[in-house]
Amino acid sequence: METKEMQDRPLNEKDSLALINQMILNTQRRLEQGTGRVFLIWGYITVLTTVAVWLAIRLTANSYWNYLWFCIPVFGLAATVLFKKKTSGAKSFVDKVVKYIWLVQGGAGFLLSALSIFHVMWSFPILFVIILLMSMGSILTGLVIEFKALVIGGIIAMAIAAVHYLINIYDVKLLTFALAFLAMDIIPGHILNYRIRK
Amino acid sequence: MFKELNPLLHSELRLGVMSILISVDSAEFSFIRKQTGTTAGNLSVQLDKLSQAGYITIEKGYKGKMPCTTCKITLAGVAAFREYVDAIQTYIAKK
Repeated sequence: METKEMQDRPLNEKDSLALINQMILNTQRRLEQGTGRVFLIWGYITVLTTVAVWLAIRLTANSYWNYLWFCIPVFGLAATVLFKKKTSGAKSFVDKVVKYIWLVQGGAGFLLSALSIFHVMWSFPILFVIILLMSMGSILTGLVIEFKALVIGGIIAMAIAAVHYLINIYDVKLLTFALAFLAMDIIPGHILNYRIRK
Repeated sequence: MFKELNPLLHSELRLGVMSILISVDSAEFSFIRKQTGTTAGNLSVQLDKLSQAGYITIEKGYKGKMPCTTCKITLAGVAAFREYVDAIQTYIAKK
């Protein structure tokens, strides 16, 4: 996105308005670059971990494999830091709001998961709650950044959460968990990246 | 009746800078330079003019070991920008 060199020269009214629109649009585009990546990181890591837990428990019938769920925060955080979007040199209010949404949602999700895995809360429907928490985060983020695919993905994930809660079959629970993350992270993440690259 | 256009904002480069700063929380000097495509010297002069008018704040600090200048629009800057856009729209509407 090359910008021609601007000078200290007066403009006519139409050019002034066009310049304002162009600069605001360019700035927003630059800030959006790399935004989809974080959804793809968390989406793929969650789906892969779910498949790994499902396979491991199916093959060994040992519930200790549930500790594999900790791969999500460990690999998720590591990959987020590793593939962090390059700082564009500008900070927007939207960036700040989105960061805080995910800090709160992620923190609550991690705390509940830890309590559940270490058997503090025996019968807590943790996977259901995680889908709900994360879908709320996706919907809020989608509304803040005005990106419909994320809002729709979050709503679909909430509907999947209801199915997940109602059907008491272990395989279905893990399948619906993975599907929810496909709907609210992976698909919107790819759409977002495609939109920015266009 | 035409509203008077603020001469400080009625310049391509200063208006470009204000348009960037109105859409972000803060922006670094290098970001503004890239977006406006201007030279560092010219940009510095225009940033100083906007700062002296109270439209932006300029904070000089460090990013790691590198010096880093960060600019932010002020409330007075937002108000001036809004007035300027309103004034321009009256010109376009009357034409």
